[in-house]
Amino acid sequence: MPRIRTSYLVASLLAFFLLIFLIVPVGKVIYVAFQDSSTGALTLVNFVDFFKTSLFRESFFNSLYVAGMSVLIASLIALPLAYFTSRFNFGGSILIQTLGIIPLIMPPFVGAVAMQLFFGSNGSINLLLDQWFGINIPFMKGLNGVILVESIHYFPFILINLSAALNNIDRSMEEAAQNLGSSGIRLFRKIVFPLAMPGYLAGAALVFLKAFDDLGTPLLLNVNNMLAPQAYLRISSIGISDPMGYVISVILVVFSLFALWVSMLASRGKDYSGGGKGVSGLLKRDMRGWQKAGAYCLIIFLLLLVLSPHISLVLLSFGTIWSYSVLPDAYTMAHYVEVFGTTREYITNTLLYAGLAASFDVAFSVAIAYVVLRTKVIGRQWLDYIATGALAVPGVVLGIGYLRTFNDFNVPIIDKPLASWWVIIVVALAIRRLPYALRACTAALHQVSVSLEEAAENLGAGKTATVRKIVVPLMAGGIVAGFVTSFATAAVELSATLMLVTAESDAPLAYGIYVFMQSAAGRGPGAALGLIAVVVVAFGSYLAHHFIERNKRMQATLTG
Amino acid sequence: MLLRKNYRKMTGRFVLSVGILTCLALPAWALEKDLTVVTSYPKDLTTAFKQAFEKQNPGVKVEMLKKKTTAGVKYIQETASNNSSDLFWASAPDAFEVLKGDGLLAKYTVKAVGIPDLIGSYPINDPDGYYKGFAGSGYGMMWNTRYLKAKKIPAPKEWNDLAKAVYHGHTGMSAPSRSGTTHLTVETILQGEGWENGWKLLKEIGGNFHTVTERSFGVPDGVNSGQFGVGIVIDFFGLSSMASGFPVDFVYPTVTTLVPANIAIVKNSPHPEAAAAFIEFLLSEAGQEMLLDPKIRRLPVRPETYAKAPKDFPNPFIDKTIGAKVKFDVVKSKDRYNLVNSMFDVMITYRLDDLREATKAVQDAEKAMAGKSNAEAEKLVAEARALIAVLPIDENKSLDNEFSAIFKKKRKKATDKVTGRQAEVEQQWDTMVKSNYAEAIKLAKKAKSML
Amino acid sequence: MSLATRVKPVRLQIEDVHISFGSTKVLQGIDLDIEPGEFFAFLGPSGSGKSTLLRAIAGFGPRPQGRILIDNEDIISLSPWKREVGMVFQNYALWPHLTVQKNVAFGLEERKVAKAEISTRVEEALDMVGLADLADRHPSQLSGGQQQRVALARTIVIRPRLLLLDEPLSNLDANLRVQMRTDILKLQRKLGLTTIFVTHDQEEANTISDRMAVLDKGIIQQIGSPMELYDYPVNRFVAHFLGTTNMIEGEVVSVDGATVLQTQSGLKLPLDMAPDARHGAIVFRPQSVHVNPEITQTSAMNLDGTVESLEFLGSTVRYGVKVGEVTVLAEEDHQRGKPIYKKTERVQLVIPQKQVLFVTE
Repeated sequence: MPRIRTSYLVASLLAFFLLIFLIVPVGKVIYVAFQDSSTGALTLVNFVDFFKTSLFRESFFNSLYVAGMSVLIASLIALPLAYFTSRFNFGGSILIQTLGIIPLIMPPFVGAVAMQLFFGSNGSINLLLDQWFGINIPFMKGLNGVILVESIHYFPFILINLSAALNNIDRSMEEAAQNLGSSGIRLFRKIVFPLAMPGYLAGAALVFLKAFDDLGTPLLLNVNNMLAPQAYLRISSIGISDPMGYVISVILVVFSLFALWVSMLASRGKDYSGGGKGVSGLLKRDMRGWQKAGAYCLIIFLLLLVLSPHISLVLLSFGTIWSYSVLPDAYTMAHYVEVFGTTREYITNTLLYAGLAASFDVAFSVAIAYVVLRTKVIGRQWLDYIATGALAVPGVVLGIGYLRTFNDFNVPIIDKPLASWWVIIVVALAIRRLPYALRACTAALHQVSVSLEEAAENLGAGKTATVRKIVVPLMAGGIVAGFVTSFATAAVELSATLMLVTAESDAPLAYGIYVFMQSAAGRGPGAALGLIAVVVVAFGSYLAHHFIERNKRMQATLTG
Repeated sequence: MLLRKNYRKMTGRFVLSVGILTCLALPAWALEKDLTVVTSYPKDLTTAFKQAFEKQNPGVKVEMLKKKTTAGVKYIQETASNNSSDLFWASAPDAFEVLKGDGLLAKYTVKAVGIPDLIGSYPINDPDGYYKGFAGSGYGMMWNTRYLKAKKIPAPKEWNDLAKAVYHGHTGMSAPSRSGTTHLTVETILQGEGWENGWKLLKEIGGNFHTVTERSFGVPDGVNSGQFGVGIVIDFFGLSSMASGFPVDFVYPTVTTLVPANIAIVKNSPHPEAAAAFIEFLLSEAGQEMLLDPKIRRLPVRPETYAKAPKDFPNPFIDKTIGAKVKFDVVKSKDRYNLVNSMFDVMITYRLDDLREATKAVQDAEKAMAGKSNAEAEKLVAEARALIAVLPIDENKSLDNEFSAIFKKKRKKATDKVTGRQAEVEQQWDTMVKSNYAEAIKLAKKAKSML
Repeated sequence: MSLATRVKPVRLQIEDVHISFGSTKVLQGIDLDIEPGEFFAFLGPSGSGKSTLLRAIAGFGPRPQGRILIDNEDIISLSPWKREVGMVFQNYALWPHLTVQKNVAFGLEERKVAKAEISTRVEEALDMVGLADLADRHPSQLSGGQQQRVALARTIVIRPRLLLLDEPLSNLDANLRVQMRTDILKLQRKLGLTTIFVTHDQEEANTISDRMAVLDKGIIQQIGSPMELYDYPVNRFVAHFLGTTNMIEGEVVSVDGATVLQTQSGLKLPLDMAPDARHGAIVFRPQSVHVNPEITQTSAMNLDGTVESLEFLGSTVRYGVKVGEVTVLAEEDHQRGKPIYKKTERVQLVIPQKQVLFVTE
C-alpha cells in the first residue's frame, strides 16, 4: 500500500524535525536538572531542593498568581470587546476588533517600558492623580505591573478566539433563553458564555501559558520572585552552574504542558459551534440610547487602556526629555533621524526571518494537521502534542539548547557553526510560533468535509493532488490566519533571538530595539524603532493577508 | 488562459522578490573578514569606536555583538567549542576573571607605551596578562532633580546618606549577581567598611530600595524617567544622562573605587591580528581621546589625555581622593565572587519586601523616639537593627575556599567532588533571614507602641 | 397549581404592524385578531414574512411599527424576556451544555421559582411530553423527536400566555411528524393555550389549526378556517397555495347580454355574476370537474377537450384535459373496475357553477 508508506514517510520526517529542533535541544538543557551537580549522576535531589526552598515555592505561587490574574484581567478586557462587537449594531466594530489585535505585535519588553511611563509609581497617571487627589495607585508595583503588562499584551488571544466562538453560536440559543425570561448578564453567564467556552478556554490557556512563561516583562519590571526570571537569573549568572535554573525550566515546561492538557480536557466534547441546522448567522441587536453611550464609554476606556503602550511609545519616540512629568518636555524628530540609517537592515532581517518562519510554520502545520486528522499513522497524535508543547518551552531554554546542540555542527559551504548561522534564528522562531499556526490549520482542516476529498479521489485524483488541489485551497482561511499570527508574533520575538544573534547585521528589529533601549542618552531612538517595528509588522501582516487572499481568489477564478 | 498567464507572472514576480529579499539579507557570506566583538557597552560607545577603527583599518569590518555582561560570558562559554568571537569587551573585571578561569581568554602583551600600572588603587591590567584596562569608571550616586524637588528630599553625598529614612522607597540599585560593576561596588563597600559593617550598611541602604534592577542600565533608566529618585550607578551612566539633557545630577562619594573597563582576546580567536590592532587602537592617543565624548564619558588610562578634557572632568591621576581610600583586594573579591552575589540576593534582592518592611518599622520607631527617652524602646530598636544586620556567615567562612566552592561548582573532571548544594545552603540562609526580618518588625512595632 | 390546570386563555390582537429590515419591507399592514384558546396557523412560502411575524410577537427582530396586544395590553415595547410568550424554535435551540432537566428548569430558575417547585414542575412537564426518564441526558443524546418534546416541555413549563411554534415539525421525518402534530394539538387543548403555529406545509396547517392566515410578500392574503380558505380563496395566490387548482385567465366581456370570461385563444367561459374588473380568472378545484357525467347539471360550465395526461393518485385519478389553449385538471374518484379515459380521448367536462370562483387579484 503505497499510500500508507507515504503517510508514514511524511510523519517520520515531521517527527525527525521536531526531534532535532525541539526535543533534543530542550532535552540537552533540562538534562542538567536531573544531574547531581557534584557527582554527575542522575538524581531527583534537585527537585527535592526546589520544593524545599521557600523562595522557589513563593516564585511558583507568584507565577501561578500572575498567570491566573492575567487571564482574569485579560478576560475582563476581551469579554466586553468581543461581546459588544459580535452582538450589537455598533459603529466601528471592525475598527475595534482590529485595534484589539494590535497589542500582540508590540515587542513585549517595549510594552513594559511604555507602561512604566504611563502607569509607573511616578508615571503620568500617578503624577496627575497625585496632583488632583493626592493619591498614588500602585498599578505597576511588583506583581501588579507584570499582571497589567501581560494582560494588555496577550488579551487579544482571548479576543480572537472568543469572538470567533461568539459568532458561531446559533442565534436561537440566545433567543430561546430570552424567550424564557433571561436577559443581560444572566443570559451571558448562563447561556452565551458556556456556549462560547471552548473558544474562551483556548484563548485563556494561551494567555495563562504566555504569562506563566514570560521572562521579558518581569525582568524589565525588576520582578525576580517568579519562576521564569529565577530560571533565567540562575542560568545566565556569571560562573554559576547552579542546576536550579534548569530545574525551574523543567518545572516551567511540565506545568505549561499540564495547563495545556487541562484546557484540552476542559473543552473536550464541548464544541457546540456550527451545528449546521437551524438559524445560524447573527441578528445584531440595537442598543438603547443610554446603553449605547455606556457601551461606547466602556469600549473607549478599554481601547485607551490596551493602546496606552502604543500611545506612550509614540510620545516617547517624539519626545525630547520625559522625566518625572506627565508629558515629554518638548517634541522632536531627532530620534527617527538617528535610527533611520540603521533600520533598513533590521527591517529586512525581520521580514525575512518572520516571513520564512511563518511560511515554514504553515507548511508544517498543514502537514501535521493532515497526518493527525486524515491518516491512521500510529502515534500521530503525538506530532500534535509535541508541536503544541513548543508553547511550553521558554524562549531562553530553546536559545541555550540551540547553542548547545548546534554549535559543534558546521554547515557545509559557508563553514560556520549552525548555531551562529542566521538560519538558526529562523528555525527558532518557526518552532516557537508553530503552535499558533498549527491550531489555526487544524481547526481549518476540521471544517473540510472528508467527502470533498473522497469526491476528488473518486474522480481519479491521487492523494498528493487531492491535498494540493482540494484540501489546501479549502483550508486557505485557516492558513492565512495561522500565517498572520505566526508572522506578527515572530517578528517581535526576543527571548530566543537574543541568545542566537551572532552578528548585528543578522539581527532582527526586536534585537535592535533592545540595543537602542540601553542608551543612557534616553529611550527615544529605541521607541522610534519600536514604533517602526509595530508599523512594519502591522503592514507586513496586512500585505501577507492581502497577498494570500488574492492568491486564493485567483485560484478560485481559475478552478471555477 | 489570460488569467493563468497573469497568475504565472505574478507568482514569478513573487519568487523574484523573495529572491532579492533573500540576497539582501544574506550578510552571512560577507562575514568572514569581520572582527567580532562581544560587548556589553551601549551603542553610543561601540559605534564611535567601530567607525573610527574601520576608518583607520580599511578592509576590517567590526561586528559589535551586544550582550549583557552575564549573557556575554554565557555566550562565550557555550560557543567555546567552536568559537567565532574575537574580543570580549566589558567593564567588570570579574567577568574576565570567570572567562580566564575557564581558559577561554588568550594572553596578549600591549605594545602601546605610557600607560601607568594603577588607576586609583586598582591595577589597570590583569597581572596574568589576559585582559587589559582601557578606561576607568567610578561608582557614585545619581538623582533626578525634579523628583527630589517634588518630594522635598535632599541630594545625597555619601553611601551612608542613602541609609537615612528620608530616602525610604526612593532609591534603586542593580543586583551584584546581575551586573559585574555593581558587584565591584558591593565588594568595595565590604572591603572599605569591613565585612560586618559593610553588609550592615548595604542592608540599611537596601531597606530603602524602591527596586533592585535586573540590569545595571535599569538604574540610570529608572532615575532618568523618574521611577525612583536616586540610583547607585557607574559614573558614565550618570554623566552621560546629564549630557543628554535629563534633569539629573551625579556625585562620587568618598568611599568609591575606580574600576577599569577591560578588553581581552578570546581564545582561538578567528582574527587575532585584527583583535590585537583593535586593542592597540583603544589604547592609542586617538582612541583614548574618544572616551572624553560626553555620550561616552569614561576616564582615560593615559594621563596625558586629560589635558584635552573639559574643565570639570575628574582626573584620578591628580585627584587622589577618587578611589584612593580603598585598597582593593582582587584575590579576595575573586574567591568569594559568587558567594557575595548569592548573599546579596538572598538577603536583599529576593527578600526586598521583607527587608523594606523591617527597615520601615525601625525607621518609624526611631522617628517616634526622637526627642523622647525610653530606654526599653531604644533597646528594642537596637535589637531590631541588630536582627536585620545578622549575617549567616562571617568573613572567614566567606574566604573558606571549600565553602565558597559550593557556589562555583565547576566540575572540571568527573572525579571532582563538591559537598553541599547551593540551593540547600541558600534555603538555610533564607529561612534565617526571613525570620530575623519578621522578628525585627515585631520588635520595632512593639517599641513604637511603647512611645 | 398543576400545569394542566387550565388558565384563562388570552386574546392576541395585531394592529397595523409593519416591519422593515433596512429599506426592505418585510411585513406590511398586518391586522389579526386571534381568539382566546385558538390554535392559529401562519401559512406561507419561505420569505413570506410568517416567521418574522411570529418572532415579532416574541419580541425578536427589528422593532415593528403598530400594536401587538395581549388581552388589550400592548407588548410591542416590552423586551422579549418580559413578554411571557413561549416560543419553540425550528431547530429547538436546546442548550447543549445543559441536561434535559436543566434545560426545562431554565425558565423557572429565571423566574426565581423555589427549588422544590421547580423540580416538581419540570417533572410534570417532562411527563406530559413523555420524557420523564430522560431528564439527565444531554440534548446531543436525544433523537430529533425527543429534542422536539424537550423544547416543548421547556416552553410550556413556564405557563406562557401564548405558545408560538416556529415550523416545529420541519426537522422530523414523515411518520413522526404526523404523530407529533396530534400530540401537540392534544397538549394545546389540554392546556387551553392560545397557540400560533408557523408552517409552509398546508396539510399541517389544515389538520391542526382552528384558523389560519395565509401570508405572501409580507402581506396577509386571507384569514379563515382551513376549509373556508380552501373553498373560498380570495385571490390567485391563496387558491394556488392551498391545494391543486384550476385557474383560467381571461378578459371579462359581454356576449349576448351574458357576462363571460374570454381567454386569449377566444375560449368563452360563462360567469354567473358581473364583476367590476376587466381582467380576472376563474378558479375551481380538480375534484369539482366531472368528466362525461351521466347526470346533467343545471347551471354548470361545459367544456370539451382532449385527455392529455393521466396520473394515478390512489384514491383518485387526475386527468389533464386540453381545452383550447388551457389544460384543465380533473379528478375522478377511483374504484376498482371503474373505466379509465385514455389519452387523446375526447371528453366533456362539466363544472357546476357554484364550484367556480372568480378572482381578480
